[in-house]
Amino acid sequence: MASGQESSGTTLMDLITSDPATAASAAPTPAPAAAPSTLGKPVATDRKSKRATLTQIQNDTIAAAKALNPVRAIPQRQRKKPVSYAQLVRSIHELAATSDQKSSQKQLVQHVFPKLAVYNSVDPSVAPSLLMLHQQCEDRNVLRYVYYYLARILSDGGSQGLSPGGGIPTPNWDALADIDAVGGVTRADVIPRIVNQLTADATNADPEFHARRLAALKALTSTSASSSEILEKLYEIVFGILEKVGDAKQKRRKGLFGKQGGDKESNTRSNLQYAALSALRRLPLDPGNPAFLHRAIQGISFADPVAVRHALAIISDVATRDPYSVAMALEKHIEHGGALHDILHLHDVLARVSLARLCHSLSRARALDERPDITSQFSSLLYQLLLDPSDRVCFEAILCVLGKFDNTERTEERAAGWIRLTREILKLPEAPSVTLKDSDNPTAKVNTVKPSSKAKRPQPLIKLVMRRLESSFRSFSRPVLHAAARVVQEMGKSRAAAYALGLYDVDEGIQLHAYSENAESLDSEFNSSSQSEGTRKTVPVSNGPGGMDTIAGLLASLLEVVRTTVACECVYVRAMVIKALIWMQNPHESLEELQSIIACELSDPAWPSALLNDILLTLHARFKATPDMAVTLLEIARIFATKVPGKIDADVLQLLWKTCLVGAGPEGKHTALEAVTIVLDLPPPHPGSMLGLTSVDRVSASDPKSALALQRLVQAAVWFLGENANYAASEYAWESATPPGTALMMLDADKMVAAASSRNPTLAGALTRLQRCAFSGSWEVRIIAAQALITIAIRSGEPYRLQIYEFLHALSLGGVQSQFSESQISNGEDQGASGTGLGSLISPMLKVLDEMYRAQDDLIRDMRNHDNNKQEWTDEELKKLYETHEKLLNLVSLFCYVPRAKYLPLGPTSAKLIEIYRNRHNISTSTGLNDPAVATGISDLVYGISELVYESKEAEKESDAIDPELAMAWAAGLEDGLWGKNAPAMEKVNEFLAGAGTDAPDVEEEENITSRPSVTYDDLWAKSILETYEAEEDDARSSGTSSPESTGSVETSISSHFGGMSYPSLFSSRPSGYGVSQNSESRSGNNGRRFSNTSTGGPTFEGIGSPVREEPPSYSSSVLQRFESLENPLAGRGGQSFGSQDEDAGSQNPQFGKALYDFTAGGDDELSLTAGEEVEIDYEVDGWYYVKKKRPGRDGRMGGLVPVLYVSSS
Amino acid sequence: MILAVLFTNADGNILVERFHGVPAEERLHWRSFLVKLGADNLKGAKNEELLVASHKSVFVVYTILGDVCIYVVGKDEYDELALAELIFVVTSSVKDVCGKPPTERLFLDHYGKICLCLDEIIWKGMLENTDKDRIRRLMRLKAPTDA
Repeated sequence: MASGQESSGTTLMDLITSDPATAASAAPTPAPAAAPSTLGKPVATDRKSKRATLTQIQNDTIAAAKALNPVRAIPQRQRKKPVSYAQLVRSIHELAATSDQKSSQKQLVQHVFPKLAVYNSVDPSVAPSLLMLHQQCEDRNVLRYVYYYLARILSDGGSQGLSPGGGIPTPNWDALADIDAVGGVTRADVIPRIVNQLTADATNADPEFHARRLAALKALTSTSASSSEILEKLYEIVFGILEKVGDAKQKRRKGLFGKQGGDKESNTRSNLQYAALSALRRLPLDPGNPAFLHRAIQGISFADPVAVRHALAIISDVATRDPYSVAMALEKHIEHGGALHDILHLHDVLARVSLARLCHSLSRARALDERPDITSQFSSLLYQLLLDPSDRVCFEAILCVLGKFDNTERTEERAAGWIRLTREILKLPEAPSVTLKDSDNPTAKVNTVKPSSKAKRPQPLIKLVMRRLESSFRSFSRPVLHAAARVVQEMGKSRAAAYALGLYDVDEGIQLHAYSENAESLDSEFNSSSQSEGTRKTVPVSNGPGGMDTIAGLLASLLEVVRTTVACECVYVRAMVIKALIWMQNPHESLEELQSIIACELSDPAWPSALLNDILLTLHARFKATPDMAVTLLEIARIFATKVPGKIDADVLQLLWKTCLVGAGPEGKHTALEAVTIVLDLPPPHPGSMLGLTSVDRVSASDPKSALALQRLVQAAVWFLGENANYAASEYAWESATPPGTALMMLDADKMVAAASSRNPTLAGALTRLQRCAFSGSWEVRIIAAQALITIAIRSGEPYRLQIYEFLHALSLGGVQSQFSESQISNGEDQGASGTGLGSLISPMLKVLDEMYRAQDDLIRDMRNHDNNKQEWTDEELKKLYETHEKLLNLVSLFCYVPRAKYLPLGPTSAKLIEIYRNRHNISTSTGLNDPAVATGISDLVYGISELVYESKEAEKESDAIDPELAMAWAAGLEDGLWGKNAPAMEKVNEFLAGAGTDAPDVEEEENITSRPSVTYDDLWAKSILETYEAEEDDARSSGTSSPESTGSVETSISSHFGGMSYPSLFSSRPSGYGVSQNSESRSGNNGRRFSNTSTGGPTFEGIGSPVREEPPSYSSSVLQRFESLENPLAGRGGQSFGSQDEDAGSQNPQFGKALYDFTAGGDDELSLTAGEEVEIDYEVDGWYYVKKKRPGRDGRMGGLVPVLYVSSS
Repeated sequence: MILAVLFTNADGNILVERFHGVPAEERLHWRSFLVKLGADNLKGAKNEELLVASHKSVFVVYTILGDVCIYVVGKDEYDELALAELIFVVTSSVKDVCGKPPTERLFLDHYGKICLCLDEIIWKGMLENTDKDRIRRLMRLKAPTDA
């Protein structure tokens, strides 16, 4: 039996029914093994019709359970046949009938009910038997189970997924009962009966019965909150109970602490109080109801500690909504010696936590501004909680003091919190209620107030907190360490907020008692404690050892302890510690220590990548709080990039870069950009290589994944540099004052570089780095570097453009050779003869620049001619000029995004003439005025887009999923293309592509596992960015496409292409957001690019057929696509094969065809076909027809792309 | 909110799970996340040694008791310390029910009781009873405090 068994299908039920005799331990109840046989007996006839269904259900259930539960191989030597759900249900029916017999009861308690617990929901058809048991059975153990299952039936809100109990899934009983009309029992039938019976229980005032009463009330609260009828009933019951027992004045000390002291009656009462408040806590909050609040406040004085906890929890919830009435109602409890003070000594941690929250919300409430006496009482109570023996309570109190209450982050509140913490004094009331301590109470140890001599002395809060935290950091318990680090992190947040608001301009180095003197000036501001000035001024601050009595000193010693905690073996604790350190880091402090900690932490392979990305996001949040820290944070981010490139998400890093760059402000931009580009100097261990990527082979030998990741990071950095250098340098061609001619005069390269760097060091620095990359990076990086350079060249004015031109020219020289040799054997990696191998890539870039310079020269010449001849410009001449302008604009737009309305490819001098022509012919320039790229700077635009990209993980997932396919397509395209003969390059490409393909889902997987619904600070912030930029992005899109020809959708851009109009697709927005598949992306790109052939039409571009033109995607197309094409620069190779022979055919005479086979659309722009369908063929693109159907298909689409081979053209 | 309580055996088979306010489609993620966490970290851990993990604002505290791994997940007021409190109550009640740190067999033999005692400890995603005696009394359908 043992060997042949399929152990993979073992369920929990199998486990529980397996023969315990084989288990090592002696099981006290060996009976379960016998159960199946007993249960398998035939049952009463009236269930017969149901049985067949049930058996089937049982099979379904087991199968489902096997599929669902991730149960792995469990070696089992012996196993009985597991009990089925149906058997269990049957035996309940049977045994219920004979519930008066001891044996039945035993059977139920020991076998049937425990096994039923394995299932995650309970069939309503069991309910009648349960109710019968409930009425007739006297056995407490049976009844306890009956209440348990009744509660589960009540709580199972019909939706299977939401039932609280886990376990083996049971089928949808209601549906089955409906089908099986005879004798079917649905929830709708049984619930009223259950509720009625339980209500009767819950209102039964018989003192002997009151244990059942409590259980019934508890079971009743399990009903789903949606049923208002039951809710009303519940409120009625609860208030009814409280009416009777709530008012009774009771001395808590007797009831609670003297355990044996209470008489039976008061015990009963306190039990009922407990049950009623517990139920009330589970009911929806009713803040407007005075009775609700009244009962809750009564609860504070109840004897039962759990009841008090619930009462406080309810009150603190209500207090966040209606602080005024709560404060008024609590007025007599907060007074010295009142009930609230007693809670300080209550042995229930959560009660004190609720107390802290209550005190916080009342002491901060704006509604209570006129009652400083009340608020101060609450804050002093809160401060006393800082002394609480429980870490949980103390930390909650610290967080409350710091202004961290819920997940909403308000800077003012946090800043005020830091001030409070640093300046407030805790002064205990004169007579702390030590006397309340009850010596014969077993829980009295908690009550022991701190050694009174110490506690009585007024203490600055900060000191108390620091000491407490320091001692917590010495704990061995990981939860305590984690929590303490979290508190320090929150402290850092509050401190950062205080700095950000400038509230905290006082030097931290001042002795602490100095604060106590000027503290009262802040009282009014922050509603602080109203201790008399006299006491405060005489505060004798006890000098700690070493005289570290300044806040700075305290912080330093705390941080010292925090740092040592990094030694904890738990990565989560360490992560929290690092986050805390990041938050406590101040802009002016040295960050070496932090850096070295992080650096050596990251060498530990145990770090999960989700956690690392979390820390990166912390950096992000930290930057948000203190923009001054951009450079510091980027330095830290760099460590991540060097140490664990394989684990961090390049998107997260890019996000950080962009935030830092954009947020750094005008004067910080330079440093921010510098810090980003430090990544280009990776990896540090090889200072010899400029970029480190030459050593990529060596690295990959040890860890190919991280080598690839590092490579991608560098690519990302280079790309980032190209896109954002102009923004960082505030240098735009369309804002440059330098006339084009001046640059031409400085043809001496040295002079030019000198002039450039003196004028704009940021841009000059970026250029130098990019040039270095273009020379000596790996093959992939060089390509991107060249693209980045051309982007900068196009966007910047002189002398940068010329400088780049010179550089590119030099770079391409080697490549020219292969160009001449019919370019068929060009391989891009031929480092020997052709130098950089970038010739084929660079030549079209150079040609664009050539065109621009030539046109500029022509313009200058023409202008001079006109001036000399005192001739007006004729309309014809102007038109020609304008056409050149437009043509060049189109050309330039292929490489990078430029604002069309402002960009002057012919130089600033052309502005006037073009303006004249535009005015004369009413050509609108609306594009430029509301163009966000101009208004906010280009980087903002990118930033917004990629923000979106980062957020829309789903979208990315989709594209990632397609990635490998595309990669294969490219690889295939390459094989029979030009590159087939170059084996090493092929390998590299394949490796790269394959790496790119497999990498992404990995990340995605982790993302999935760890993604939670909870909204945190980071989420919120990211979301807010998302929202703000979304609008902007849309704007950009629409303005990008506002040239009349491109109306936005792929189809129109394709067809407009054949209409022969100008400037179509690359600027057209993507068809449907970011979820579009890569297929459609690249195809629309193809079309657009192809169009560029026809539109520019100049001899320069005809017949080159190089892929290069296709690479620089438009700026406004998504960053995703941009990246795709960056990473796969040869993407276009596959597309090279398409002919242009039938280009014009489609648009003129419609062609008809018939679908030969069924075809299922694989992307948004594809069209599903059924064999035999008649279609109209619009045109052919790269092996695809664009066809239109006569009527919409099942998916409602009329037109789209289908493979040529699927359609027979007539 | 206590989001989840999960008991598994040493091989990562789920013995008991209770979710509160976790959508069905996320439960699978949680299960595999927790089981992986335990597989990575619980090897060689001492009985009842508390381990901690967190993700954003959600906290996880877990431990091993006999052959059984226990995980609790919470957020908001149920932070790592409150969860440590909770897991302490759970472990001590389980020990109470089983009489000692349970083997897997022992645990399964007391399955019903353990479900009942969880029911007393956590009620609708909130910690209810923490006192061992009280839990024991309530499991037998007696009043929490009695003369």
